[in-house]
Parts: sequence; C-alpha cells; structure tokens
Amino acid sequence: MDNRLKNAIEALIFISLEPLTMEKIKNVLDEFPPEEIEKAIEELLQSYSSNERGIQIIKSGGGYLFSTKPEYDSWIRCLLLIERKYKLSPAALETLSAIAYHQPITLAEISALRGVDSSHTLKTLLQKKLIKIVGRKKSPGKPLIYRTADKFLTYFGLNSLEELPTQEEIAKILEEEKNIEE
Amino acid sequence: MESTESYQVKLEFFQGPLDLLLFLIRKRKIDIHDIPIAIITQEYLEYLEQKEKINLNREAEFLFMAALLIYIKSQMLLPREKIPQEEEDPRQSLVHRLLDYQKIKGVRAILRKKEDKEQLKWKRTSLSPLLNKEDLELEEVSLFDLAEAFFALMREREDFKIIKRKEYSVEEKMKEILSLLRENSFLDFLDYFAQQESLEESLVSFFSLLVLIKAKTVIAIQEQLFQSIKVRLRKDSYSGQS
Repeated sequence: MDNRLKNAIEALIFISLEPLTMEKIKNVLDEFPPEEIEKAIEELLQSYSSNERGIQIIKSGGGYLFSTKPEYDSWIRCLLLIERKYKLSPAALETLSAIAYHQPITLAEISALRGVDSSHTLKTLLQKKLIKIVGRKKSPGKPLIYRTADKFLTYFGLNSLEELPTQEEIAKILEEEKNIEE
Repeated sequence: MESTESYQVKLEFFQGPLDLLLFLIRKRKIDIHDIPIAIITQEYLEYLEQKEKINLNREAEFLFMAALLIYIKSQMLLPREKIPQEEEDPRQSLVHRLLDYQKIKGVRAILRKKEDKEQLKWKRTSLSPLLNKEDLELEEVSLFDLAEAFFALMREREDFKIIKRKEYSVEEKMKEILSLLRENSFLDFLDYFAQQESLEESLVSFFSLLVLIKAKTVIAIQEQLFQSIKVRLRKDSYSGQS
C-alpha cells in the first residue's frame, strides 16, 4: 500500500494541537478514498503500538493525538522539572461526575446532588476549562447551565461521553470499596 | 456508642453530609432502602458533636441534614391515618438522594483512576513552552502596566454582585493561581480578572499575583504590544512547588 497516505496522516496528527478527528483527516486528504484512509490509520496505530517507540497515537476526545507511552513518565518529569502532576480535588471530581451524568445542569442541581454548595468548585472547573456554560435555564432566576467541555474527555482519556463508566462499572467499584472498608 | 468510638473518622474527611450518612450506613451494614432512622440520626448527631472548631459555611450543610433526619424521624412516629400503601415513606426522597450520591462517588473513584492513568501519557498540549532566559528579560511587564491594566478593568466592570460576605485570603488565592498555572500553561490577565465575583475578591487576587511576581514564582509577560498580558510560571519554579 501507498506509504504516502500513512505518512501524511502521521504528519497531520503530529502537527495538530487538539485531537484530530477522522472527519478532518478525510477532508484534508480528499483525493484518497475514505476506506483507504481508515485502513491507513489502523495500520499507523498498529505500528506505533509496537515496542520500538516511546510515543504512541491515541484515540481521545473524539480524535487522534500523539502521547508519550506511560512507562517513560518519570524521565519526562525529570526533564521538565515537574515533581508530580497536579490532581483534581475529590470535590472537583464529584462535581464533574454530577455534571457528566446530569448535563445540562445548574449550580443548584449540582449542589443538591452532592449535598454541599458547589459554587467554588464550579468556578475552578470553569477556569480549568473542563466544563463550559451553555446558556440559561428558563426558570425563575434564569440560572446558568453547564456541560462538560471537550477538555474533560481528553483529560480522562475518554473518546466520547458514551465512554463514561456504565452502571455495571460503577456498581463494581462500589462493591470493591465496600470490601476494602471491611 | 462503642462503635463510633472505636472507628473515628474525622468530619473533614467527608465531602458532605451525604458522604457521612453513606459511611454510617455502610459501617452498620444497613440496607439503604430500609434505614433505621432513629439509630442513624443518633450516630449522625454524635459525629457532629465531635467537632471542636466550627466552620460555619461547611457546618451549615451538616446541620441542615441533621434537621432533615430529625424531621423524617418525627414523621415516622406520627400516627398514620391513611392506608399505608398509599402513603409515601418519609425516607424515600432521602434514599433517592443517597443512591444518586453513591453513584457520583463511584464515578469519582473511576475518574480518579483514569486521571492517574492518563497523566502518565504526556501530550504536547499539556506543556507550557519552555522559556529561555532571553525571553524573560525581553517580555516582563512592569508593575505599573499591570496596575494600570487592573484598574482599567475594574472601572469597566459594573456587574459585581454582592451575594454574601465571603472571606478571601491571599494564601488561598496564591494557591488557586498556582494550581491554575500548573493546569494551563498560562493565565490570561484579563480573562482571569473578568471572572472575579466581587471587587474584594479582585483586590485580593491582584495582591496575590503581585506577591507571586515579587517572589519570582510567576512572570507577567506581554508577547506583543497591545496583546493581552499573560501570567506564566517561571520555568525554574516548577520543582518543589507541587
């Protein structure tokens, strides 16, 4: 098969700062038949998953992007002088869970779900661009309504909202936690 | 009660009243759909009593739940006039809330695992550009520019709300700014101050920013004339700041 196609796709993903969608790849490489493009991407992903490379192409946030392989994390942090990465607080994770499963949602609804005032956490998440304001609810006070942003998906390595944990996965982890407590 | 004494978890450990209730229910291995309200209410109140210092903001939510528990308990003691089947169990809405919250807690644990896993994969987008020495000398914005930009912005803002009196501390704001900078490679000066809720908050934020600049932890730069001012972490301040 023509290596040019595969190489071109590689170059496009390399230069993209955001996850590059299949649609965009097809638009740019419109002289190639779509099926061939899909096949070439598959091959590209395969070749990167081999042991010969320190980087890989992952499918995240609805598109393709380059990332380093997890096993080289400590050396990368050494190079960048970052001792450890900043992690979201439990409150932030809870708020994100509430939004992810109940979106579009207002601040009052989030606070009710969590049983605690979530305005501060919400603000932090907005600043981190993990959530976004999508409008106002047509109810008294016209409260703002929130949704998860694209960065939410890539932050957690999800390709789409459909990849959020299922009921079974949630039940499983709750069961595990129970066992740890006992 | 013995059990509470032998297994004490601090109130601060819980995210909120629902978290504490779930913990008490699990500890006693109670069926969430059939909560013995009297026992749980008592244990819940005992937990609140352990508190020495009171943080009113947080405490209010715990107290509100205590009131709700006592209310449900009283409802269950009331003589029932209607036929039991038609009557709603007073615990029902609380059970729904607990189940919803339990789910959120489960998702929270899964998201944490995903976060851990994902953070090992470095992407080019997550990096702030490595700054060279020359860059730093060229671009630093003077404090006068910064102050001017700040006061110009404050004059424009008319939408400050005064909802409730909130205390802002320089220390907290500094932490907030640093965590934002670690998350995003830079902070847009105008954007950041446009998000502040009150004049008081803006002033505390601005002061915190000045402290960070003075401590040479962050740097304020303007890449080109008339472009917005950006705040960045200094490259040499990455280590030891996490």
